[in-house]
Amino acid sequence: MSVLRIERSFPVSPEKVFAFVTRTEHLLKWWGPEGVSMKEHDLDLSRPGAWSSTLVNSAGALHKMSGEVVTVDPPNSVEFTWGWHDDEDRRGYETRVLFEVRPDGNGGTVFVLTHSGLKDEEAAANHKLGWTSSLRKLEQFPELQP
Amino acid sequence: MIHNTFAALGDATRFAIVEKLLKEGEMPAGSLQDVGSISPPAISRHLKVLREAGIVEQRIDKQRRMYSVRPQAVRSIGEWALDYREFWQTSLDRLETALLQEGDEL
Repeated sequence: MSVLRIERSFPVSPEKVFAFVTRTEHLLKWWGPEGVSMKEHDLDLSRPGAWSSTLVNSAGALHKMSGEVVTVDPPNSVEFTWGWHDDEDRRGYETRVLFEVRPDGNGGTVFVLTHSGLKDEEAAANHKLGWTSSLRKLEQFPELQP
Repeated sequence: MIHNTFAALGDATRFAIVEKLLKEGEMPAGSLQDVGSISPPAISRHLKVLREAGIVEQRIDKQRRMYSVRPQAVRSIGEWALDYREFWQTSLDRLETALLQEGDEL
């Protein structure tokens, strides 16, 4: 098992960052990669309980994920579980995401994302990032669409 | 399983074979020779690797072996390609844009 950790700095207040990473109306502005749109969602990370989202790419392929918000400590952190669903809507193995928000001392915010419980190969990013554009190319063929 | 798929597609000639099969549909091995101008035995070897990785399948049509791409194989790669790191990196780029666009109200 391994861990993915990403840190970003934003020149806005922690309260604002916390709102953007937990509240539905803000999450909808950024959740998911460019070129992918939200098909269905129950995406409120500001309170404990279930969440889910289904993304659809330009070719119509669906990516569904769901989980449970475990702890919310505004404006410092939120933790939730995560599992991808397959084509038959079976939920895969569960991973865990922690968002941490803290002041950087200069009026800005440090945001730290920790995604843990990943299978090792899924954290082997270098192996994979180079592949993405090639695979996109393959994905565009119409006969590959469900 | 997915590792075999990547290993098989990691070769430029095999990637080109898969692309050609996707573009033009099922065909016999002989029609694949213009891919990187290689010899028939080399084509056979590449096709064998692709079959063993589950990317390409073969069917006998009269005397000829016809090759095609298994759609589910490539689809599974595509799904896998939306991995966690990519998901978060691209999402956080958008988060940054959203945060900066909206001034400091709130």
